[in-house]
Amino acid sequence: MTGLFLIFISAIVFPGIIIRTKSIASGRKGPGILQPVKDVRVLLGKGSVFSDTTGLVFRIAPAISLSAIVTATLLIPFGNMKSVISFEGDFIFFSYMLALGKFFSIISALDTGSSFEGMGANREAFFSMLVEPAFFILMATLAMFTGYTSFSDIFTGFFITGNHYVLIYSLIGLYLFIQIAIIENSRVPVDDPKTHLELTMIHEVMILDNSGFDKALIHIAGWLKFALYGALIFNLAVPSGWNVFLQVALFLSIMAAFAVIVGLVESFRARNKMNKNPKFILTLSAIALIAFLVVLIVTEKFIL
Amino acid sequence: MIIYLIVLFAVTLIYLASAERLLNYVRLIAIQGLLLCGIALLELKDVNTANLVFIVAETLLFKTLLIPYLLSAIIGKSGVTKVHRQAIPGFYLLLFSIGAMLLSVVLANSLINPFINTIYMTIALYTLFTGLLLIVTHRLIISHLIGFLIIENAVFIFSLAVGSEMPMLINIGILLDIFVGVLILGFFGLRLKPNTNELTMLKD
Repeated sequence: MTGLFLIFISAIVFPGIIIRTKSIASGRKGPGILQPVKDVRVLLGKGSVFSDTTGLVFRIAPAISLSAIVTATLLIPFGNMKSVISFEGDFIFFSYMLALGKFFSIISALDTGSSFEGMGANREAFFSMLVEPAFFILMATLAMFTGYTSFSDIFTGFFITGNHYVLIYSLIGLYLFIQIAIIENSRVPVDDPKTHLELTMIHEVMILDNSGFDKALIHIAGWLKFALYGALIFNLAVPSGWNVFLQVALFLSIMAAFAVIVGLVESFRARNKMNKNPKFILTLSAIALIAFLVVLIVTEKFIL
Repeated sequence: MIIYLIVLFAVTLIYLASAERLLNYVRLIAIQGLLLCGIALLELKDVNTANLVFIVAETLLFKTLLIPYLLSAIIGKSGVTKVHRQAIPGFYLLLFSIGAMLLSVVLANSLINPFINTIYMTIALYTLFTGLLLIVTHRLIISHLIGFLIIENAVFIFSLAVGSEMPMLINIGILLDIFVGVLILGFFGLRLKPNTNELTMLKD
């Protein structure tokens, strides 16, 4: 439960740190760290307005997306402590929970009947399809390396294998999880959340018709997704046997550092051209494949 | 330690397949030279001083400094900064590159014997395929030269794959190839540019 609590705490401050970093990097005074929370609180107090063209799917999609992501959060372990739900192959369930949330976002965008939102939904589906192999290949690498197939066992066994190649998988894993988190949340360089409405091309365009309470749920789901990947990064970077208090401090530091990295990337890097994104995302799968092949060759599990 | 450098080398090959700016190619070639120097120094333990000096000179001076400098000078003079627009898009080249990576693993593992280091063999084959892919899919002559340099790096790793002794003759052969290639291209790039821009984009 400690991990779950920490994930929720860091999800609350994560967007604020990104905004604060961006404002400092651009020389502005900027809003406080808790400003996004205040905005969401206002949204939660409002009712939702629904277009006549939308149906049931559009009304239930935000709640299902959020609940799918909360369910995925229950699968993330913290150090030696097991996750709330843990079973063999739970990383596949984790991935499909995130995919379920995304599926409902996509069909809710299609339900509006807007061709503009349809375009965003199309791109979201395409980029998610491209990023999924990178996640699965990376998890397969970690599973093969440790010999386990659940998050809790993989991360517990990761640093006690005694194998000196651990650093390779740790570094590649960190890089890939950061990039996957950025892509899954449609941030720079794949998409730019600053360019609201017409200029925004992927995620923001899909939620144009959402308002009030529903929009607040969508924002909270986005924060949680960032915190989820931050927790995965923490598990891959910090050995599970370390002192709990040290781990808590490191967890919060890693989350803060992750948010600062996202903020700095958004401050100093331009968004990719939309037609360059597939190549950018495919590169991640290729790098994950290298890690997988190294495991195959080093552990001599390649059978021809 | 060697495995870290080899993984980094493989990552540079992926970025070579997806890069579109010629200067990025040059930077990646320079990084590859540096990595090859590290790999060779760590691998060749029982090597005499003369050979060691030669390897360091070849990888650090030529592959890392001189050739990237010459290439960037050619790019600067010719004014061509990106690959030809008719080249196969990076997305497909990257897919081919992933296919080449898998093919290299299969080939290297089918050639298993006590005298061949499988990891070196895999990365050498993958480097070779990447160089060939760049040559086949790109139109600019400078991209072809870069593909050629990548193939030279593949030959360098092949020589490490087949034993810890690097025959001097292979070294000299590699060096000569690189030198002649860069000289010829330098000549073409510098001489033809003032007259016409089209000739720098000629197909082979």
